[in-house]
Amino acid sequence: MIGPFTGLFHAARDPPRTQSAFMSQNTLRRKSVPATARDSGIDRDVFIMAASISGYTFSSVCYHSANSNSDHEGFLLGEVRQEETVSISDAQISSSEFVQIVEIHNHEPCAQLFSFYDYAGKINEENLNNVLKDRRKNVIGWYRFRRNTQQQMSFREQIIHKQLTQLLGVPDLVFLLFSFISTANSSTHALEYVLFRPNRSRYNQRIQLSIPNLGNTSQQEYKVSSVPNTSLNYAKVIKEHGAEFFDKDGVMKDIRTIFQVYGALQDKVQAVCGDVEQSERVKEKLQEDVNQVKQQIALRKRKTEEDRRLQESQIVDSTSTPEVSTKPSETSFMSRITFQTPSAPERPSTSPNPPSYTDLLSQGDNLLSSSSTPTNAALLPRPQAVGSPGHPTPVSLATGLSLGMPLSLGANPVNTPITPYLGNGDGSSSDSLDRQAAGQEDDDEDEDSSEYENLVSEGARLPLVPASALAQGRPAALGPDGDARGSQTT
Amino acid sequence: MNNMSPEVALHRISPELRPLLCSVVRNGRVGLDSTNCLRVTDLKTGCTSLTAGPCCDRFKLHIPYAGQTLKWDIIFNARYPALPPDFIFGEDTEFLPEPSELPHLVQWDAGNPECLLQLVKELIQQYHLYQCQRLRESSRLLFEYDSLLEDPSYSRNMEIYAGLKNSWTGEFSARFLLKLPVDFSNIPVYLLKDTALDPGEDVALLSVSFEDAEATQVFPKLYLSPSIEHALGGSSALHIPAFPSGGCLIDYVPQVCQLLTNKVQYVIQGYHKRREYIAAFLSHFGMGVVEYDAEGFTKLTLLLMWKDFCFLVHVDLPLYFPRDQPTLTFQSVYHFTSSGQLYSQVQTSYPYSPRWDGNEMAKRAKVYFKNFIPQFQEGAFANGKL
Repeated sequence: MIGPFTGLFHAARDPPRTQSAFMSQNTLRRKSVPATARDSGIDRDVFIMAASISGYTFSSVCYHSANSNSDHEGFLLGEVRQEETVSISDAQISSSEFVQIVEIHNHEPCAQLFSFYDYAGKINEENLNNVLKDRRKNVIGWYRFRRNTQQQMSFREQIIHKQLTQLLGVPDLVFLLFSFISTANSSTHALEYVLFRPNRSRYNQRIQLSIPNLGNTSQQEYKVSSVPNTSLNYAKVIKEHGAEFFDKDGVMKDIRTIFQVYGALQDKVQAVCGDVEQSERVKEKLQEDVNQVKQQIALRKRKTEEDRRLQESQIVDSTSTPEVSTKPSETSFMSRITFQTPSAPERPSTSPNPPSYTDLLSQGDNLLSSSSTPTNAALLPRPQAVGSPGHPTPVSLATGLSLGMPLSLGANPVNTPITPYLGNGDGSSSDSLDRQAAGQEDDDEDEDSSEYENLVSEGARLPLVPASALAQGRPAALGPDGDARGSQTT
Repeated sequence: MNNMSPEVALHRISPELRPLLCSVVRNGRVGLDSTNCLRVTDLKTGCTSLTAGPCCDRFKLHIPYAGQTLKWDIIFNARYPALPPDFIFGEDTEFLPEPSELPHLVQWDAGNPECLLQLVKELIQQYHLYQCQRLRESSRLLFEYDSLLEDPSYSRNMEIYAGLKNSWTGEFSARFLLKLPVDFSNIPVYLLKDTALDPGEDVALLSVSFEDAEATQVFPKLYLSPSIEHALGGSSALHIPAFPSGGCLIDYVPQVCQLLTNKVQYVIQGYHKRREYIAAFLSHFGMGVVEYDAEGFTKLTLLLMWKDFCFLVHVDLPLYFPRDQPTLTFQSVYHFTSSGQLYSQVQTSYPYSPRWDGNEMAKRAKVYFKNFIPQFQEGAFANGKL
């Protein structure tokens, strides 16, 4: 929290300290100190000065200036603060950097020229107070607008600036110069602005003035300014009408509604996942069957071939003509045949994941309660968003699993109860979330790359497919709306 | 925008400000170098671009000073013509005069057309003081300045420009522009009349540039107003001595002054001498005089006869007569050259001495004519045709 600029009349408040988290080897400690007249920035070696002006103040100044038919001037109100950054690294114990930050919140235009000074440029303090009224202590600078002139402080401006520095007690009073340049045929007009701090050495007088949120905001974040909102009317209206937008927890109602929609969508996706998993399993089973049949065919072929060879060799023996040349080929052919067999069963060209489903199914068969749906395995992650209706995060199994992610079998304690997923498919989410939340903490903690190895070694086990599932077997085709078509039983 | 004639500037400026600018561009002479008047460029307006009519109220004023030209921006407000202007002093960012030293600013009176001009003059004075302050960076040059200041004939007529320190070499340079207290009033009027330019005030300015703080590189230069330059015989006729190394201005400047004064004296004397010469010839040759220059006494034509041979004698008197010998041109009245001109012969060397007075010269000239004419006649008959 930073206090407003305090002039000669108030003592400096003790600033709060904010600690930022430990980052690599540097510890940063930010200390904000309101700049007072006594604590003049010139004593400490203030290296950098940064200035910013809020967009609406800037546009307001431009508006007043552009509409005046002569030169225009006014005062800048805001606050100045110093930030000290202390960084500690391995190289040096501590180095501190001071940054003086000037923020322009508002402006006070003068109604006419020479309103608080005379021809010689001498300021009349009474008139000055009339112009500033009670905002005198917030003055951090002044501005001037003149068309078609150079970006340089003029004679009278320098004289006035010196006096203002004295009178207002602001050691680093800034001066903002606007210059409006028009081309001869009035086709192009340019508004140039330069911020000076004339009280510094003459080589370092210009400061860059930044206007937050003026620029390409699609690539940058929208910055909230630190201008304090002191409008009573605003506070009143917000209080009155706030109930229409915020619920009793202070969360905007729209957010809840949006999260409900989000929940419904998630449910649908979950359902589709289940269907896809089912159909994948069915397909796998069929594939296995096909492989088995192929094996049998190959076996029979071999047998008939062997018988034939045997008969032929008997005939050859009787004719007694050794054919050396053909033997190696025969043996190689035979060896080829023999080598072929161990390579069965062929791996299907599908992903290596299906064994996981079968494994799970075997496991799931053991663990399933009386529910008829073996679709619990492929549980989707359910990321918990901020502000969603207070359900606890379904961690663990959900986070560990996705459609393609295998589960480490070895680590899974077989006795962990896995509650089945009973999606209603109509979008209501609360029940399912509750069910998922129970007791699934320790499933994904041992997950690592070794699970793949587990799969390879255990891939040969092909459990029997329940007859009911096989009978239904048609792979589910995903339609455009994400719903699985094809008949399925739940 | 540049080289804007004063009339154009006056036409474009806002009507309420016109009188002020008028006195600046028409009569404005500020500083020592009054041959260059003040120039106005870059006339712009401070009103919105929708404002109609002449409404320019800010411009750049070029002021000659110490051999440089200062370019100051002057900013008025056309909508408030009664308010005094603001100034931007170009590159002299540190020049900040005290307003109390500028009475015409403190009591600005927009109704007085001379107000702006007077204010500019006051600013120039302050600028001069500011430059003198800057001389303090070099003790040598400061000494020069102080010594000149003591002499009343120079102190009032001095402009000093202390150049920026060259940040690379750390060198400091300065230029002194001095108005030399030479009296030109006795120069005959005719000599000053022949210039095409507006003669203005007759002035001789000595500009001395010090390229370094130790005064080892000093470059003096003499500037004369055009009429004086013409009267003294053109820029080639004047050579000032080089600045002696180790010397100082307080010795050098009087030297130059003396030289100039001598030259002026010489010219004045020459005028009188010529007059005397012509007068003597008139009295000696009487009716033989065809014509003569009665203003400048630079030419004289005689028609003489010797043994029935008539001839013309043109006498041309140079500027630095009697130091330089007059040229005699003999011309036959009968004979022509092949190009259709009258046959003539020029004689530049004949018995002559600058110490003779007019009478003596006339007498000797007569003698010479008598001796030379037979020769001329022969030549005319031989080379010319009738």
